[in-house]
Amino acid sequence: MEHTSLIERILRGIALALVVVFFMFPLLWIFLMSFQTNETILSIPPQLFFTPTLQNYTALITGKLTSAAGTLDIAFMRNLWNSVFLSVTSVAVSLLLGVPAAYAFARHKFRGSEDIAFTLLSFRFAPPLLVLLPLTLYFQQLGLANTYFGLVWVYQLICLPLILWIVRGYFEDISADVEYAYRIAGHSWFATFRKIALPLAGPGIAAAGLLAFIFAWNNFVFALVLASADKQPVTVGALAFVTASGIQYGQIAAAIVLSIAPTLALALYAQRYLVEGLSLGAVKG
Amino acid sequence: MATLELHSIVKRFKDNTVLDDVSLAVDDGEILVLFGPSGAGKTVLLRLIAGVLDADAGRIVIDGEDMTGVDAEFRGVGMAFQNFALFPHMDAFANIATPLEARKTPRDAVRAGVESVARLLKIDHVLTHRPRALSNGQKQRTALARALVGSPPVLLLDDPLRNVDAKLRFEMRLELPRLLADRGATVIYVTQDYKEAMALGDRIAVMGQAGIRQIGTPEEIYLQPAGLDIARLFGDPTINLLDVRPSRDGQGIHVALSGTRVELPAAMEPSVGRACVAGLRPETLHFVKAGTKGAVPVTIEAETPLNEKTVTLARTRGGREILVSRPAGTPGPDHGEAFLAVDAGSVLMFDKASGERIAAGGPAAPRKRATA
Amino acid sequence: MKAAQLALSGVDKFYGPVDRGVHAVKSLTMQLDEGEIVALLGSSGCGKTSTLRMIAGFEAVSRGTISVAGKPVHELPPVRRNVAMAFEGYSLYPPLTVRENIAFALKAARLSQAEVDAKVNEIAKLLEIEDILQRYPSSISGGQQQRASLGRALVRSASLHLLDEPMGQLEPQLRAVLRGRIKHFIKERGLTAILVTHDQTEANALADRIAVMEGGVLQQFDTPTVIKEKPANLFTGTFVGEPPMNVFAADATLEGGRVRLDLPQGVSLTYPESEFAPQVRDRLRALRQVVIGVRPYAVRRTTDGVAASVATNQWLGDQTHIAADFAGGTIVLVEHDRARVGIGDTIGIGIQPRHLHIFDAATGEAVVHGMELA
Repeated sequence: MEHTSLIERILRGIALALVVVFFMFPLLWIFLMSFQTNETILSIPPQLFFTPTLQNYTALITGKLTSAAGTLDIAFMRNLWNSVFLSVTSVAVSLLLGVPAAYAFARHKFRGSEDIAFTLLSFRFAPPLLVLLPLTLYFQQLGLANTYFGLVWVYQLICLPLILWIVRGYFEDISADVEYAYRIAGHSWFATFRKIALPLAGPGIAAAGLLAFIFAWNNFVFALVLASADKQPVTVGALAFVTASGIQYGQIAAAIVLSIAPTLALALYAQRYLVEGLSLGAVKG
Repeated sequence: MATLELHSIVKRFKDNTVLDDVSLAVDDGEILVLFGPSGAGKTVLLRLIAGVLDADAGRIVIDGEDMTGVDAEFRGVGMAFQNFALFPHMDAFANIATPLEARKTPRDAVRAGVESVARLLKIDHVLTHRPRALSNGQKQRTALARALVGSPPVLLLDDPLRNVDAKLRFEMRLELPRLLADRGATVIYVTQDYKEAMALGDRIAVMGQAGIRQIGTPEEIYLQPAGLDIARLFGDPTINLLDVRPSRDGQGIHVALSGTRVELPAAMEPSVGRACVAGLRPETLHFVKAGTKGAVPVTIEAETPLNEKTVTLARTRGGREILVSRPAGTPGPDHGEAFLAVDAGSVLMFDKASGERIAAGGPAAPRKRATA
Repeated sequence: MKAAQLALSGVDKFYGPVDRGVHAVKSLTMQLDEGEIVALLGSSGCGKTSTLRMIAGFEAVSRGTISVAGKPVHELPPVRRNVAMAFEGYSLYPPLTVRENIAFALKAARLSQAEVDAKVNEIAKLLEIEDILQRYPSSISGGQQQRASLGRALVRSASLHLLDEPMGQLEPQLRAVLRGRIKHFIKERGLTAILVTHDQTEANALADRIAVMEGGVLQQFDTPTVIKEKPANLFTGTFVGEPPMNVFAADATLEGGRVRLDLPQGVSLTYPESEFAPQVRDRLRALRQVVIGVRPYAVRRTTDGVAASVATNQWLGDQTHIAADFAGGTIVLVEHDRARVGIGDTIGIGIQPRHLHIFDAATGEAVVHGMELA
């Protein structure tokens, strides 16, 4: 019945707390590490209390990596900017292409429409390594390697299927009668798309865009192969911290904090949309 | 303000033929009801007329103009949907205004038009509400207002009262005729409720078997149904159907019911000697005193009041059930034995094999209620 | 006097904490005699379903007691209450055929195979589901599922049969005859049944007594005839009856040996004072502001009545519904013949005092039925 006993509630609380600790601990630990020097990080036993330092963040922002062997120039801020630019542009292009396509797939069933939609989705399933080698060769011949244009193009492999499938689910959820009613009232199909379908699928489009942004941000392998230092996003740039004279844990931690901060903030802000978007679109489609 | 013609419409979904060679002509200002069970193709036909579905064959002509293949926004029809199909992100005012805005009506005229139709439908106090904040009845009225506001010459109403409660449905059923007559529109009205069909229709088209089974005035459909299936769809309680084989002797045509001889009019001639089904409407049967000539003996099983009527379930000597209805408050039989008088003039006779009505010559018998 | 088959005494239901949560059922007290059919009637959210679920044991009672056949049951689990239930959502067991579904409780009660078959066949014939007994629930229509679910509940022997919206999905052509058969079946076996419904037609057709609920409160509990002729308040009066009762606000005045009821737009109904009992006249004099109600079948067309313009005339085969503009609103008449009046025709509306219901405009409580005090 509707009553739960006190013990049940306490046990549930403990279980939830354990889950939270399990998932949140690494994040917390990295956050703490980013304010420590390499010496305090590597000391055994680990110190819970330490004098926080901002030197890791200063090193990143000024681009001077200090290690036992001396000072090294790194382009961390440049990488961060690359990440922002690549992710935002890719998602924008994907939305521009994917939302109308999703609408077409949702509303107009034509011969082979399912097959095309599924082929697009299969880009997400294919291991990136499979396409990487031919892609690199083509890109070099076409002069697209190491250009923002080329990277944004490749990022469509990540963003487009995601947006297409999530948004299509949202469009399918809109009652066709609602759109018919607008048509019969005397409006063109394009007006119906703009005034009825788009606003009603708004939350879904936002969720899909957000998710695509996170996936694009986290991408590593495409950028590793197709971009040189000045076009690299943070995910690839972080490799620079593994230096000949050792690994700069403190600076890595600070870099991680800086690079996950935007996505984390976005995800927290739009948590509700994300869950809705995933459960409505992807699962159903 | 417009006539509507359908010529040999065919519509298939995959291998399922929903409409097979349907032709129909609706007069200017007429209210035609499309009536039938769900799946009979009523809604599909409506959508073909609206232009949101395309027919596989046939032509649709509105006011002399061939509209086959013309996009929905250019057909100039108004439509109300069974599920209301309101735009959830717009308030009631914006919902109702959409047909006017499509025609680039000046803002003042839009406001005036929306407000006048809203007053007519008694929703002027909720125009700023979004659909989510409207009651079911208000949603239904908003949907209707949106269909009416542009004064379309052809109005398509797809079971608009289906999703509102009994009280509102009744209220709207009384209000609609005047509302529609004032607009002068040609109306196609889809319903599954025979009362709505009879109350609102100038003519009723009964749909079934991928086409129109019978089309006629409510009177024709109720008093002279083309077949058993149609007779069963009209009337509450449902018509009594009894297997009989009419025969003739020196005194005329008759059937045996519950071991009693029931005389039939001479017009029943074609049914003599055939396996037939007699249709007796519950309201044409009356309880009479024992010993009345031609009275059929029955046993009373249960009495169930039904909206200003009392319905009695009785059983004949042969074990067949008969429903009898009488105005509420009029005296009825006690439990146990009772006797029924059959109004011979109102008996409907159907061929058992085909289910078609065996035409009784002459006009429908005058229907007068004898007092029990 | 016979012991009550079901007795609810001061039953409260709160969703959430007692006294602070949502108060769904408010101190409900009612009794059913053995062999009685009672309908719990009300719109959604009136508390009828909560009440049913408390009787069945699916919902805890917040306060008060429930007893079945003289035995308190409100703390027993559902299976020990000896109550059979037909659910609104059919709820047949999907892996079992219709026959197995209906036979389920009978087999659990260790009846012999022959007895089980006989009972199942009988109820199947009554509900016209003989030809689908071997089918599975997923392959039959909604109406058939509902009939099967009804069969499963009726076939059991139990102290109490609970039927939750049992006929809402039924095919319209079958409704009238099934109502008759089910009522006959229940009466013949002397079963005690509670029917929960929002459909007043269903309640009137089947029930010996109707319990009208609204806002968690029992409004009236009486026979259909009494509820129709003497509704306790405006809610009951307008909720029960189809077409619904005509109601108009009115000012009551007594002068010159006449009772005058002033309706909106200058319409007034006057009756000789002698038509009303003296106590009625006193109450009317004290109240002044009233609401009058008259059932559609009681409104008559008379030559000397109040003139009204016909708005619509709808013939339904066996009844005619006429609506006319009257006192700033609409008045509805039901006639059992085919009325030959056209739209726009003027008719005279006659309301006899013995058909008048008068309610207190402030509280909605009934004051007068016919010429007598309520």
